[in-house]
Amino acid sequence: MSEVLIMDTILSILVIFWILIFISYILMEKGLGVFGQIVRGLTMFMLEKVLGPGADLVEGRKGSGPMVWIIQGVLWLFLSSTLTFIGLWLAHDPTALHSLEAWGYHPVSSELFYAGKFAALFGCVGMFIIGTGLHILPNLLETNLASEKNAVLTSFVWTISVIILVIGSQNHYIGPVNVILLGTGLNSVVGVAVIANQLLTKASSNVQLATPGWLIIFGLIGNPIAVISLFLSGEYDTGLGQWLVYHLIGATFFFSSIAGISLYSASFGSGNALWSQTVAGVVIFGTLITINPLGNADPTMAIDMLGLTSSDLVATHQDNVAGSFLMALAIMPIIALSSNILITLRGTDVFVENPDSAGIPEINFGAWMLLPLGIAALFIQTDTLSGTNELSGISNILDLMTIWTIFIPLTMGAALQVLPSVSGRYPLSQNRARLAFWMLSAGALLGLSLTMMSDIADSVLLEALVEEPSTLSHTLRKAGSVIFYGTVLGAIFHSTNLFSGLYRGAKVSTGLNLSETTFAPTSYPLTSTTTIRKILASGAVLDTNVVPTFESNESGSPTLIHEEE
Amino acid sequence: MSDNGSGKIGQFLQGEKEPSSSWVILVIGVVASLSFLVIYNILYPGQDLPVISSILPMFEGVFDSGIWFFILGAMIGAFAILGTILTEATIE
Repeated sequence: MSEVLIMDTILSILVIFWILIFISYILMEKGLGVFGQIVRGLTMFMLEKVLGPGADLVEGRKGSGPMVWIIQGVLWLFLSSTLTFIGLWLAHDPTALHSLEAWGYHPVSSELFYAGKFAALFGCVGMFIIGTGLHILPNLLETNLASEKNAVLTSFVWTISVIILVIGSQNHYIGPVNVILLGTGLNSVVGVAVIANQLLTKASSNVQLATPGWLIIFGLIGNPIAVISLFLSGEYDTGLGQWLVYHLIGATFFFSSIAGISLYSASFGSGNALWSQTVAGVVIFGTLITINPLGNADPTMAIDMLGLTSSDLVATHQDNVAGSFLMALAIMPIIALSSNILITLRGTDVFVENPDSAGIPEINFGAWMLLPLGIAALFIQTDTLSGTNELSGISNILDLMTIWTIFIPLTMGAALQVLPSVSGRYPLSQNRARLAFWMLSAGALLGLSLTMMSDIADSVLLEALVEEPSTLSHTLRKAGSVIFYGTVLGAIFHSTNLFSGLYRGAKVSTGLNLSETTFAPTSYPLTSTTTIRKILASGAVLDTNVVPTFESNESGSPTLIHEEE
Repeated sequence: MSDNGSGKIGQFLQGEKEPSSSWVILVIGVVASLSFLVIYNILYPGQDLPVISSILPMFEGVFDSGIWFFILGAMIGAFAILGTILTEATIE
C-alpha cells in the first residue's frame, strides 16, 4: 500500500491539494469562530495602517482599485504583444536585431517568447483577473471592497514584480540574485494582500455568494495552495511534481479566475441571466478535481518561479493512467464554461446580445476557442506524460494560442465590461474598440495558426531526418509573424481608446446609444411592403428600428429648393 | 440672373464641412515633397540628395532588417499611448 502511495506522485499531490481546498472552503463558510473578529481586525490593520504614509498617497475612492489594475493591464497587453511579435520574427530571422549586440544585448526568439509570456500572463491577464475580481466580488456580495487603498497601492508593486520577471526571463541571475525568484517573491506578497482584501470583503457580507464569485476566490487561493501541496508532498524535485504544479496553477489562478470573471461579464454585458447555475457548478468542481491540460508541456516557467532545479519528467504507469484520465475529465469543465458563456451571451435566440458593446465580441471569441484548444492541449499533454514526445514541437505555439485566443480575449472582454462601471465612463469609441478586437483576435488567430503550420512542417521534416530547411515552413513563419503584428496594433487601439474614454467617454449614467456608434442606421423607414432581405441589404442590423411611414393622400407639388425670406 | 439671386447661389455653394487646416497643410506637404523629389531627379539625374544622402549611411547595418519598420510602428504606438495619457490628463 505504501509502495503505491510513493509511486503515485500525481494522486498524492492532488489529495493534499483537495484537502487544503476543502478546509479553506469550510473556513470561508463557517468562519474562524471566536478568532474571526481578531483576525479581521488584524488583517485590516495589515492592509492599511501597516503601509504607514504609503496609504495616504492614494485617496481610496470607490472603484479606484479595480480601475488602476485594469489600466495597467492594458499597458501590459501592448508590451506583451510587442515582445511576442519580436519573438515570432526572430524565429525566422535570428539575426534581425544583431545591431543591439553593440549594447551587449543578444535577443533570442525563445527568450522573447518567455518574456512575452510573463508579460501576458502576469502583466496583462493577471492584472485583468485581479482588477475585475476586485469589482465583481464586492458587487456579488453587495458590499464595498475592504480596502481600496491597498488595492491601488499593491497594483504598482505587482507591476514592478512583472518588470522583474520580464528582466529575469532574459537574464536569470544578476550577480548572485535569482531575478525570477525575486520577482515571484514580490508577486506573492501582492497575491497574499489581494487574497486578504477579497476574503475580508467576503467576511463583511452575509449575502450568499454566486458561482462566479466562488470561481474567483478559488482562483486566488488555489495558486498558493497548489504550491504548498507540492512542497508538503515532497515531490518538488521530481519532473512530474513540477509538471503538475504548473498545471494546478494554470487551472486555479488562470482558468478558474477567468471562468469566474467571464461568466459574470457574459451575463452583465448581455443583460441575460446566467444560462445554468448547475453547469457553472460543474466548472468549479471540474476545475478543482481534474488536471487542466491548457498550457505548455514544458513547466519551465513554474520551475523558474519557484526556484527549483529542473528534473526530467518520468511517469510511472499509474501516474500515466491517473494523469491522462484526470486530464481527459478536464474537458468537462472546459465544455461547461464554453457552453455557459456562449448561451448566456445569446439569451433566447441565436444572436449575441449587445454585439456592439465593447468586450462582448472578445468574450464570445474566447469562449469559441476554449474547446478546440482544450482538446489540442489534451493531446499534447498526454503525449508528454506518456513520454512519446511526438507533439512537443508544437507545444510552445499551442501555449501561445491559449494565451492570445482564450486568456487575453476573455479577460480583456471582462475588463472592458467592468471598466465603465468603475470609472463611470465608456470607452471613447465603440467603433475603435471593435476595430481593435478584429485586429487583436484575427492577428493572433491567423498569425499563430500559420506559425503552428510551420512548426508542424518542421516536426515532420525532423522525424523524416530531412536536413534541408523547408522554404515553405520559413515563408509560413514569416507570414505568421507579420500577421501577428495586428495584435500589437489592436493593443495600441485598445489602449488609446480606453485612456481617452476615461476622460471623454460617454458617461455611464447617460447611457450609450450603441447604434449611434456603428455604421448601421438607427432606424429604417418602412414606406411600402418590402422583404427582410432588402432591409438587411440597406445596412440595417438586428437592432435597427423599423419605423412604418404611412402614405399621405395630399396632392403632390414641386419641391422648393430655397424658401423665400 | 439678378444680383439677389447670384448672392443666394453663392451662399448655397458655401461649404459647411471644411477640412481642418492641419490636414490641408499635411496634404500640401506630402504633395510638395513628392514633387520636389521628382523635379530633383529630372534636373540632377543619378545624383544623391543633399544632406539626406550623408545621414542615411550612418544607419547602415542598424536598420538592415524589416523588423525595424514594425518596431518603429510599435514605438510610435507607445508614444501615442503615452501622449494620450498625458494630453487627456492635462487637457482643459
